[in-house]
Amino acid sequence: MRKMLAAFVSRVLTGVTQKPARRVLVASCNYSKDATFEIRNCDLYRLEGGPPVTAVLTREDGLKYHRMMLAVRRLELKADQLYKQKFIRGFCHLCDGQEACCVGLEAGINPSDHVITSYRAHGICYTRGLTARSILAELTGRRGGCAKGKGGSMHMYAKNFYGGNGIVGAQGPLGAGVALACKYKGNSEICLTLYGDGAANQGQIAEAFNMAALWKLPCVFICENNRYAMGTAVERAAASTDYYKRGNFIPGLRVDGMDVLCVREATKFAADYCRSGKGPILMELQTYRYHGHSMSDPGISYRTREEIQDVRSKSDPIKLLKDKMINSKLACVEELKEIEVEVRKEIDDAAQFATTDPEPPLEELGHHIYSDNPSFEVRGANPWIKFKSLS
Amino acid sequence: MNLFQSITSALDNSLAKDPTAVIFGEDVAFGGVFRCTVGLRDKYGKDRVFNTPLCEQGIVGFGIGIAVTGATAIAEIQFADYIFPAFDQIVNEAAKYRYRSGDLFNCGSLTIRAPWGCVGHGALYHSQSPEAFFAHCPGIKVVVPRSPFQAKGLLLSCIEDKNPCIFFEPKILYRAAVEQVPVEPYNIPLSQAEVIQEGSDITLVAWGTQVHVVREVASMAKEKLGVSCEVIDLRTILPWDVDTVCKEECFLNLEAPISRVCGYDTPFPHIFEPFYIPDKWKCYDALRKMINY
Repeated sequence: MRKMLAAFVSRVLTGVTQKPARRVLVASCNYSKDATFEIRNCDLYRLEGGPPVTAVLTREDGLKYHRMMLAVRRLELKADQLYKQKFIRGFCHLCDGQEACCVGLEAGINPSDHVITSYRAHGICYTRGLTARSILAELTGRRGGCAKGKGGSMHMYAKNFYGGNGIVGAQGPLGAGVALACKYKGNSEICLTLYGDGAANQGQIAEAFNMAALWKLPCVFICENNRYAMGTAVERAAASTDYYKRGNFIPGLRVDGMDVLCVREATKFAADYCRSGKGPILMELQTYRYHGHSMSDPGISYRTREEIQDVRSKSDPIKLLKDKMINSKLACVEELKEIEVEVRKEIDDAAQFATTDPEPPLEELGHHIYSDNPSFEVRGANPWIKFKSLS
Repeated sequence: MNLFQSITSALDNSLAKDPTAVIFGEDVAFGGVFRCTVGLRDKYGKDRVFNTPLCEQGIVGFGIGIAVTGATAIAEIQFADYIFPAFDQIVNEAAKYRYRSGDLFNCGSLTIRAPWGCVGHGALYHSQSPEAFFAHCPGIKVVVPRSPFQAKGLLLSCIEDKNPCIFFEPKILYRAAVEQVPVEPYNIPLSQAEVIQEGSDITLVAWGTQVHVVREVASMAKEKLGVSCEVIDLRTILPWDVDTVCKEECFLNLEAPISRVCGYDTPFPHIFEPFYIPDKWKCYDALRKMINY
């Protein structure tokens, strides 16, 4: 009994002293406020000058980017797990490896700017402000999902984020249209229109380029080149793999998509270019995805495990930022570990919600087909089944 | 053979018999995302079985061009849901070529193949059945098989038919449907529906995967209601076999209005799919209501 009491007391005491010990640790790591890093020069096309070759990273920003990239990484890995447990069904396209792209892009624009992409969008959903809960619940098709469970992995939306599109390339003209609206409203907003190396060969993208350049729309076209369109390597599908030059009459730059600072500076440069009324600009982000095209693709029949391992060890975006921050004393290892623990908890909590939230009610099957109509009857599978449509 | 193997067999026969035949589409070279073209590139060479970039409009347009010169073009659209960028090429170019040139030119040796229909988890863009969009376009033929044996015969007929054809393959049956299929080529005529089961009280018409659903409904009806059902597989959607389905003046003799059982008037849903599809219970329900009309 006394032993138990002693053990209990000592546990309580260590608990009490643990908090201040952590704070002492934090205080004892002598942090710099910010640091300057050299970033890779971008290849330019039809541009006289490019983004700067150095970037200043404040401690605050560094921690923010690190946390966001970690959250996206954990989110994707959790989605992988939930898919294998059959909580998520259908299609699931993961973007782990490409975290620097979504976090860097968001860092270079304002929340009032607009973004549209195709289906490898879980990361962008998070950086655009959706909670991990609403993302995972949408993947599992529950009513707490951001699209009320009706869209799934490929159709998630948020404020100023237009999805989440299934047909690749179709979002090109849409993005140009959003940019037109920005120009028309005169609010200095821009639209980031993302597409992949596969979609770069779609006719619609060329049509969007032409319209954007003709009318000088504030549209930043971004080709997320992760080297493989499903299983097809870029050399086998494209007559020219210099995607940043494929805008022809649109100036372009090629960016290291694994370095979040490089992406941020390039995005800022591109955004300023558009905001100054010069018209569209094209950015190619050279990046890599660790998972296969989707959960049904093991991802190793068209590339080697060694290649994936190589990228993971040399160019992992999270590791690159972490090393930079530790080496320049912007943060210390323990602090970053704490963030990791927090993020893990956030995602686990979101997964718990996503697997326990109820599915949308069956009545909602007929909702949101049209808008502003008096509610009509939706024909069901036979003439006697009818659903009410509500807008 | 299962369905995808019967497709491979049909394509193999075509490439062997017709030296001008070529197969192209997204990812067909390694065998295709549903394994329909496995082994063909190794057997016939990379200039007869090749990949295209991601461009459906380009694929069909390109196919029309090949067909106009007289070579046999077999184009694959990776999922029927992706066929819409090519809709203009199919409806405005392929379907009208012979008519507008006064029979001087035609693209009859074009066949477009696409995986079709719901599969349980496809959601909005991997489950669509777009045959209705093409069903009103004179100049093309639209065919949907129900089984491996039917698929091979119908596909060979489409390829040899002197009109551009669209061949939709029920993807849910690719591995699930297995039957004895001859290795040699054979044809099943187009525009001929097949009466699978004769009956006298009610007629059930279906195509593709739904034929199996409706067959089950027919036996349920026999067992529970004592109703004798005639089951017809339409096979060719356009031009369809009017004569088999409705004999002349049949409308005057019907005892109940014709009932259509299909998916809901909503986009193909993600989480609601089990409720959306016209399963056997919905069909059976419709049948009961018609019998009691």
